[in-house]
Amino acid sequence: MTPPLGESVYEVFARKSRGEPLRHIGYVDAPGVELARVYAWKTYDEENWFEMCVVPRGAVIPVNRPEGPWARNLPGEGDER
Amino acid sequence: MTANAPAPLSRHILTLADTKRLLGIRYSDWILGSPSIETGIAASSMAQDEWGHARLLYAMLKKQGFDPFEVEHTRPADRYYSAPALDRPFADWADFTAAVVVVDGALAVALESFADGNFALARTRVPKMLAEEEYHRQFGSAWFARLAEAGGDAKARLTGSALAMLPSTLAWLLPGDDVYEDLVDGGRVWSGERVRKRCEDRLSALLARAGITLADVEPDRAGWDAERRRGPGSPAEEAVERARGDRNRDLFVE
Repeated sequence: MTPPLGESVYEVFARKSRGEPLRHIGYVDAPGVELARVYAWKTYDEENWFEMCVVPRGAVIPVNRPEGPWARNLPGEGDER
Repeated sequence: MTANAPAPLSRHILTLADTKRLLGIRYSDWILGSPSIETGIAASSMAQDEWGHARLLYAMLKKQGFDPFEVEHTRPADRYYSAPALDRPFADWADFTAAVVVVDGALAVALESFADGNFALARTRVPKMLAEEEYHRQFGSAWFARLAEAGGDAKARLTGSALAMLPSTLAWLLPGDDVYEDLVDGGRVWSGERVRKRCEDRLSALLARAGITLADVEPDRAGWDAERRRGPGSPAEEAVERARGDRNRDLFVE
């Protein structure tokens, strides 16, 4: 189903300090990259993050579990979100 | 508050603080009912930002002879120095979006000018506000572009909202009176010309997407109230009651 506002899902990654690895902290629905950045920063503001990034869910390519939730992103597997 | 007209620096601080307080209230009206959950969360966060900034600005009045508690909790609506575009609630999302771009955008320019002057409290406290305001700018820019590109009724309403807010907001930002010139002469803020140019650099391209030429918009100073640095009128009582915290008055502990 297409979201009413033409939104896509963006996965949100963040770390609290420079030496820490980025970890997945959640996701946001947004109609584009600009609002995804704002929504992520405003939604996951419980920490004083050193770095936060968003990744379109459609850009996550599975490596070892082709039957998992990211299977749709494999080449030739249809609609990418 | 003092019975007399505030000194130029005090008027400037009141103007910024009251506009932030009212803007926070208008943002908070849309925490529920905005276009998506994420948008509502962003509106909530922006409202918190504005209220926090207002609190910091009101605190700057303490050394100017004001009691911040009195300023925040006892003034009637007609003693507010807020931008007229915030006097009434936003009618729709086009109003909200236009206010983020026009009013919040003008506020950011005014704060940038203040932070660059020689008032120590502004130099130390305002830069963090401006860092938080950057997310407001991105939010407003993205939503404004989205409604403008949608065309039809969405674009027409957005254009109407922005055009309705611009003249009074430009007058608020660029009072062009002796009180403001005192601040300029004292090194507190940028000249009106520099403020206008920064405003146009920031907003012209975005407003053009809605068919608005910012350079052609003149400040509306009809009925100018020099003491409150704004045109006639005042914020609606419902907003001022919330700004003052009237419903919680019995809970205040001295």
